[in-house]
Amino acid sequence: MLGSHILTLILFAGLVSLFFATLSRDTLREGTRLGSVMFASMVGVSLLIAYLMYFFPLG
Amino acid sequence: MQNGGRTAIACALAWLIPGAGHLYLGKKAKSIIFFAVVTLTFFFGLAMDGRVYLASPEQPLSYLATFANLGVGPLDLIGRQLSYERIIFRVPDEMDRALYGEVLDRTRRRILVPTHEYGTTFILTAGLMNILLILDVFDIGVGRKA
Repeated sequence: MLGSHILTLILFAGLVSLFFATLSRDTLREGTRLGSVMFASMVGVSLLIAYLMYFFPLG
Repeated sequence: MQNGGRTAIACALAWLIPGAGHLYLGKKAKSIIFFAVVTLTFFFGLAMDGRVYLASPEQPLSYLATFANLGVGPLDLIGRQLSYERIIFRVPDEMDRALYGEVLDRTRRRILVPTHEYGTTFILTAGLMNILLILDVFDIGVGRKA
């Protein structure tokens, strides 16, 4: 699992989102909402950048 | 105890054990999550063959990275022991050829692992998250945050 790029990204995004959601929100509902948005943003933006990089030639 | 003393103890506890500062200030649920997240991030980093940084006068940014590593508290010592098989904070002097060569060799072995960069990022992130926790505990302690 730790050798997979995408699973490492999901693991990192999950841990950081959970951390910031807990740190900056006091209720479960608000925390869940912020954490979900952060997680989706991190994974989504990373995949978008990865996709855009596909068009650049290697080397 | 005065508010200042209570805040200082909470900050010290937050540095020693991730989440302990929040537990001391009565935020039990948050403290459990913080402890789990910071320690998991740190140990995932080590499992991915990440390493803690060593300060070097030739690379000024390495001081910032070492500071970030130290943010995680005594866990950092485990990271140093596993990274270099000794507890050191600075790159050894080149004149000490045996030690310098040994540290360089251990660093090189870790760098060659494909997940090394990810692991090092996880370890740095764990330290930075714990520094944020110390600041949060300070804010709660002085009444800036509920």
